[in-house]
Amino acid sequence: MRQFNAAPLELKKQFKESFQTHPFEAGWASEAIFFIMVEDVSGSNSQLLAEVEISHDGFNWAYEGSVVGPIYEKGLNFIKVSCFGNWLRLNCKIEGDNPGFKLLVQLALKE
Amino acid sequence: MQNSFSPHIFSRFQPLKNTLVYDCFSNGQNGWMALMPNFTQAPDFDTRKSVVTKDQWPPVMLSSATYRYPGTHGALSGNYSLKISTRPIAGRYEDIPVPGSMGHAIKRMTFHNPNRKRLQFEMWFSYTAEQDRVRGDEDLAGLSENAIRAFGAGFDIQERGNRYFSGIRYLNSINGDITKKWQYISASEVTDNQWAFGTDGDWCKRGVDPQWYGQRYADGSHDGFKDLPNGSQQLCYNETDCKINWIYFRFLIDTQKREYVEFQAQDRVFDMEGIPITLIDPYKRIDGLLNPLIWVENDANRTVFLYVDSVLISQD
Repeated sequence: MRQFNAAPLELKKQFKESFQTHPFEAGWASEAIFFIMVEDVSGSNSQLLAEVEISHDGFNWAYEGSVVGPIYEKGLNFIKVSCFGNWLRLNCKIEGDNPGFKLLVQLALKE
Repeated sequence: MQNSFSPHIFSRFQPLKNTLVYDCFSNGQNGWMALMPNFTQAPDFDTRKSVVTKDQWPPVMLSSATYRYPGTHGALSGNYSLKISTRPIAGRYEDIPVPGSMGHAIKRMTFHNPNRKRLQFEMWFSYTAEQDRVRGDEDLAGLSENAIRAFGAGFDIQERGNRYFSGIRYLNSINGDITKKWQYISASEVTDNQWAFGTDGDWCKRGVDPQWYGQRYADGSHDGFKDLPNGSQQLCYNETDCKINWIYFRFLIDTQKREYVEFQAQDRVFDMEGIPITLIDPYKRIDGLLNPLIWVENDANRTVFLYVDSVLISQD
């Protein structure tokens, strides 16, 4: 039977600035999906862009090339990733006038 | 992921008669997950207000222990261990634990043997700090052992009329000063208000969740823990943060007497016979609860890691 695990990276947290998700080791899995549930948006012209980053050590990061957004409204978004080695995170860029995003971010891994 | 189960692995454990759990993390995550608040409140499955923010303890993960210089360290039984980590943010020892300064894993089960007596927790683990920065130009400025404040393991139990926590933690560093001693879970005679850092109405009762509740004091004492007699021990922490050595950990309690029995770390055994466990009035709905816990806490604005190769829980 295949292995699967969904890890909660952020839980209903209010973000007003750009941030990166907690570095995650995913070397056992060959498929990854970042789910980004936007539960609320505040401010004006608020937008969120999420970029996948990979790393060899969990501290130094490089842009992987996968991206979702810009996101303007409530709802579920996702990015599929493969060929990522071990370390994965999302670089989430927030822009706007007094922007706010309430987010639930989950990383789904499958082997 | 290969199946690393093999009977010979039990020779490095000392199980009691009935094995309840044998989790080798090269086989998968085995139901261990991060601890988070209860999503029970209106309007949108929100959480009750609490003085301790528990939704920032990072997710637990299967780790190959991969570092910048040596690459993959792997684990003891295979390639993967359960990794519990913090975020790179810490408060002072005597403050309320700040969001993200701890990591916590939990597994959830219930008792099944009506005649249960002793209960034992065993694991093989290791710990280290992230090699993120060098402090200055002094000797060993790139070794960050004192960024790890504490780690531990225990049980959250409710059975036969009481809720009670038991467990052991290694107090490694207090505000940067290496300490290296064992403490066991035991609540001081304080009120629920004092237990929750002077907060009225926090949902937690005295004795519950000593991992983060209970006032801490600058000398290392704690309203949720007491020093283990003769409990100083220099655990094996290798010469650089990217070399990890696997360490044996075992503690044994008597669930009938509500007492500790024994604790072991590496090759040293500590007698705990007769040390009482703090008893708490039962909570609603959770009779029979048996939740093993493992946690880690940082002592500097740096991510620290606790790796668990395998866990064996047994009873007689």
